[in-house]
Amino acid sequence: MPGPRLIRGYLAELSADLPGRIVDELADGLDETYRRYLGQGLDPDAAAQEAVAEFGEPRRIVAAFAHASRGRTTARRLLAAGPAVGMCWAVILITARAWQWPVPVVARALFGVALITVIGLLAAAALGRHYRLVCRAAAAACVGTAMLDAVMITTVLVFVHILVWPVAAAVALSACRATFALRNVPHALTG
Amino acid sequence: MRAEELKGHLDALLLAALEDGPRHGYAVMEALRQSTGGRLDLPTGTIYPALHRLEAAGLIAGSWSVVAGRRRRVYELTAAGKEALSGKRAGWRDFAAIMSAALEGRPCQGPA
Repeated sequence: MPGPRLIRGYLAELSADLPGRIVDELADGLDETYRRYLGQGLDPDAAAQEAVAEFGEPRRIVAAFAHASRGRTTARRLLAAGPAVGMCWAVILITARAWQWPVPVVARALFGVALITVIGLLAAAALGRHYRLVCRAAAAACVGTAMLDAVMITTVLVFVHILVWPVAAAVALSACRATFALRNVPHALTG
Repeated sequence: MRAEELKGHLDALLLAALEDGPRHGYAVMEALRQSTGGRLDLPTGTIYPALHRLEAAGLIAGSWSVVAGRRRRVYELTAAGKEALSGKRAGWRDFAAIMSAALEGRPCQGPA
């Protein structure tokens, strides 16, 4: 957008953390605000200062977009669902004595690391104030959640041969969560 | 009125500002400024994330146009948005009646 250096700098600061389509929208509003002050008789520099002040701190705007992003909403829903799904699996693993299954230690350790990573990504997406970080963390966490669910479902179906209702319930819950997570990857990425 | 005091009411204000027809972000802010007599102390930049949130919730729909060589996003109420606005208006009337009764010592009229 043509205009004083102050406005260009302000938009550049927003561009560092917001996608182009959002910056375009903000630039349009900022330009309208700037023109209103010009119309009130202010010189270009003063009008730019007033317009930027009226718009608010870039950091605050970016945080507000991060807060309103669909990635954050998705991450919060997955975090809320986590304990219920986890409890279902825990009951099944304990009941079926999962520690006796012939699963290599490395695979168990990898699953644990992946689980902690996904929880960390979900927390970053749910609490972060940087828009891009929130979107990317949410998208990665969605993919990770779906993969963890797929691994759990496959493992339990391989080692638990009797389909009792707790297994059916846990598989259904996990499958629903994985579907929800995968469907929200594009939304999380685009905010 | 500061932004902190608007918490929980911003969505209703934005929906009401779009009731008369499609508007872009700046025009929404101008409509709010006019309807509140300029007493709304809200950074204009924070209107846009709220509009995006309402769009994600399906209460408003946004579309792009080009005005004077600039891309402009215009929003309008959806059917769900109109319904939500009616609900928020009714809720606000109840809330205001209860608070007025409690703070000013006037008896509150029960629901009709």
